[in-house]
Amino acid sequence: MNIDTLIIAAAGFFAVASSIGVLLTKDNFYAAMYMSVTMLLVAAIYAAFNIQPVVVIITLIFIGAVGIVTVAIAATYRAGASRKVSIFWIIPVIIVFAILALAFTSLAVDSIEVVNPDVFPAVATEYFFVILFLFALVVLMMLSAIKLARRVEL
Amino acid sequence: MMDVSNLAVILITSGAILLVAYLTAISAKDVIRLLISLELMFAAVFLAIIPLFSINPPLAYAVAIITAFTSSTELLVLVTAIILLDRRKRGIGLSKVAVGGDSL
Repeated sequence: MNIDTLIIAAAGFFAVASSIGVLLTKDNFYAAMYMSVTMLLVAAIYAAFNIQPVVVIITLIFIGAVGIVTVAIAATYRAGASRKVSIFWIIPVIIVFAILALAFTSLAVDSIEVVNPDVFPAVATEYFFVILFLFALVVLMMLSAIKLARRVEL
Repeated sequence: MMDVSNLAVILITSGAILLVAYLTAISAKDVIRLLISLELMFAAVFLAIIPLFSINPPLAYAVAIITAFTSSTELLVLVTAIILLDRRKRGIGLSKVAVGGDSL
């Protein structure tokens, strides 16, 4: 068993473990958080295969948009009363942020370069119908949501 | 081609997440838990797409884009439905949903 398989197996194991967390926890807020962790680990498996576009799609769309909406809605409809959070939680947040900032400044290169600029024109040609289909889908979804919200008979 | 052990790990993980998502959906008492279980199911689907990248990467990428956008759209429509359910029925419990959801 090589190192790639081990990394994928470890990410897969933790993904399954966090999905079991969704099943076992009684609080919807924690369930949404465990679900986000599962999605992150799925993105990590994609990253292990170096399929970076899908990593971006999963992290930005699934976790960044839909996941956060789910976490927000779960926090809004939380069953129990919300607990008082101590202000001292800000200290570990600042420490983690400082470590990340330090690592970023030490690892960052001088200039940002696009590795493969030929990819961008291909989006308009090769994926034309995909983008058209998705745009139509989004417009239809928005119209349906507006109709539902206005309680107009569908 | 993809390593057989990698393929086995991915498909087993995908199947396990899908199973847990089904169990969560069956045991859900409110619609938010149902929404979360649906998102877990889509996570399993995303994992199942990975082997396609070793056969036809452009097709797999297109499938991944379509899957991401359609599932996100579906989930956001479900979020809208949850808010409407709460507005009409004053609650998000599954017991408040009529059979087939026809009265929503």
